[in-house]
Amino acid sequence: MTDIKPQDIEALLETFDASTWQELHLKIEGLEIFVSKTPGARAPASTGAHHQAELMSFPSTHATATAAPPHAMAPLAGAAGAKAAPAAVPAHWVAVRAPNLGTFYRAPKPGAAPYVSVGQKVDADTEVCLIEVMKLFTSVLAGVAGTVRKVLVEDTELVEYDQPLFLIEPA
Amino acid sequence: MALRRILIANRGEIALRIVRAARSLGIETVLAASAADRESMAAREADRTVVVGPAAARDSYLNPHLIVHAAKATGCDGLHPGYGFLSERHSLAALCAEEGIVFVGPTADSILAVGDKLSARGLAKAAGVAMTPGSEKLETGAQAVAFAESVGFPVVTKASAGGGGRGMVVAPDAKALAEAFERASTEAKEAFGDGTLYVERYVERARHVEVQVLGLGDGRVLHFGERDCSLQRRYQKMVEEAPAAAVPEATRARLHQAAVDLLSSICYRNAGTVEFLYDVDRDDFYFMEVNARIQVEHPVSEMITGADLIRLQLEVAVGEFPRIEQRDINPRGHAIEARIIAENPERGFAPSPGRIRLWRPPHGEGVRLDTAMEEGALVPPFYDSMIAKLIVHAADRRSAIARLRAALEAFAVEGVATNIALLRRIAAHPDFIGNRLDTRWLESVFLPQYREPKEA
Repeated sequence: MTDIKPQDIEALLETFDASTWQELHLKIEGLEIFVSKTPGARAPASTGAHHQAELMSFPSTHATATAAPPHAMAPLAGAAGAKAAPAAVPAHWVAVRAPNLGTFYRAPKPGAAPYVSVGQKVDADTEVCLIEVMKLFTSVLAGVAGTVRKVLVEDTELVEYDQPLFLIEPA
Repeated sequence: MALRRILIANRGEIALRIVRAARSLGIETVLAASAADRESMAAREADRTVVVGPAAARDSYLNPHLIVHAAKATGCDGLHPGYGFLSERHSLAALCAEEGIVFVGPTADSILAVGDKLSARGLAKAAGVAMTPGSEKLETGAQAVAFAESVGFPVVTKASAGGGGRGMVVAPDAKALAEAFERASTEAKEAFGDGTLYVERYVERARHVEVQVLGLGDGRVLHFGERDCSLQRRYQKMVEEAPAAAVPEATRARLHQAAVDLLSSICYRNAGTVEFLYDVDRDDFYFMEVNARIQVEHPVSEMITGADLIRLQLEVAVGEFPRIEQRDINPRGHAIEARIIAENPERGFAPSPGRIRLWRPPHGEGVRLDTAMEEGALVPPFYDSMIAKLIVHAADRRSAIARLRAALEAFAVEGVATNIALLRRIAAHPDFIGNRLDTRWLESVFLPQYREPKEA
């Protein structure tokens, strides 16, 4: 087992994103990482490595050296991390993350217009969604001024702590 | 009805233990973890893990609303709280009941009734369980002194709202009691938000003896014998045994009956422990408190009775009566548990979080290890630093100690400091081998010797 921590891999990914490299293939002891800027790229056949994290260029919090595949049990699916790998995303886009576990709501009430939509300009203190915990609703702010580029979660979905909810391109 | 899927609101070895017990009953598991535990062994073995909040327990493991929301949103029909954290929070049991989730533990009312120590003493009194002479709630040091003079010194102050040694001060005389009262009350207020104190007669040579029970919720209460947990440091248990071999058999039978009487009086449901102070000189015991949860040291009772207490908890929670009766529970042999803690005894027992570089646990006949640690795992700095429970079982106490010594000798851990070397010295000490212990032995006899430089 190596001493590599999730932060180390995130740092590595940031370096990779900022570089002009197309691919990165790294093997250290029991760890093997393959990163590519080409969507759908596959790592060369693994040579007996215990862990293989296949990552696109967006440094998700769920991308770590020991990331296990999501469990296959059907009724328990829908967890964070069960999503398909995100397509290439510019490195300077900022994720708005869940402050805690809860139910994600895009609109103040059922049937109302969502707080924000893709393409919309926001300020740091613009409300972007609600997170509900046992009937207690907490609003989440954008945290950065810019343009909403992606909504990563479906309305009324369970989100976990620190899960990315939106991607914002800073102004 | 049987449980189909449970949420486990805990971490570490007990979370893993519950995952495995549930799986053995065909129950699916969802682990509610903090961000620091998303890569833990329990997270890997659970059918699903949801990260409820950040590392700080206050914003994750200690938030009942997050936990119950997670249980509902993941389709759980039951919730196991483990020990510590929210396990004895009656509001969690109540919230589960409101939301139609089976709480694997006592009812909210039972937790309330036994959780407050003064209320528990009232119950014990009503059930005819022996108690140390103790006062009602006290307002001032002067009241405390007046009471102490009526029962005789020394006395000890205790917090009405909680345990763990907070609010406890031993006073040998009136002057010391008057001086300590304010300080103890402040300490209790800081720890539990309630500074109410009461005062009890202090037993000089005491053993901590407790009875493991399982209430069926209809007034029937099974017991699984007793444990001796006298080896404590600052009221934290370090080594536990079953049975309490130093207590005469007839006294042990009376202890069991007292525990059963107390909890059947409230139709207690699920696992619980009734703690007693055993007065070595008088061969008598006094009620201390009820722990309305499964306890850290439950494995020693499992080893001598062959029961799986976590499985029983999951069955009893949905009204499935276990197919055992009291006469089927026949303790055999002797079991000892040593808590392996990531702390440095050479530096005032400072916690020693870090990454486990080497993990070589003992194996063999009669050796059980309850742990969620492995090579490469991280001991986070945010929680209790217990990393494993080493449990041995043998035909009698002498052979159990031999097994414990061999297992501790073989146990190698690198990357974090541990108390293993200290446990080896305890296991080899003549007082431990001769079972001449009391609750103050570790701090007043053993540790001073341990700290002295070893003679050549």
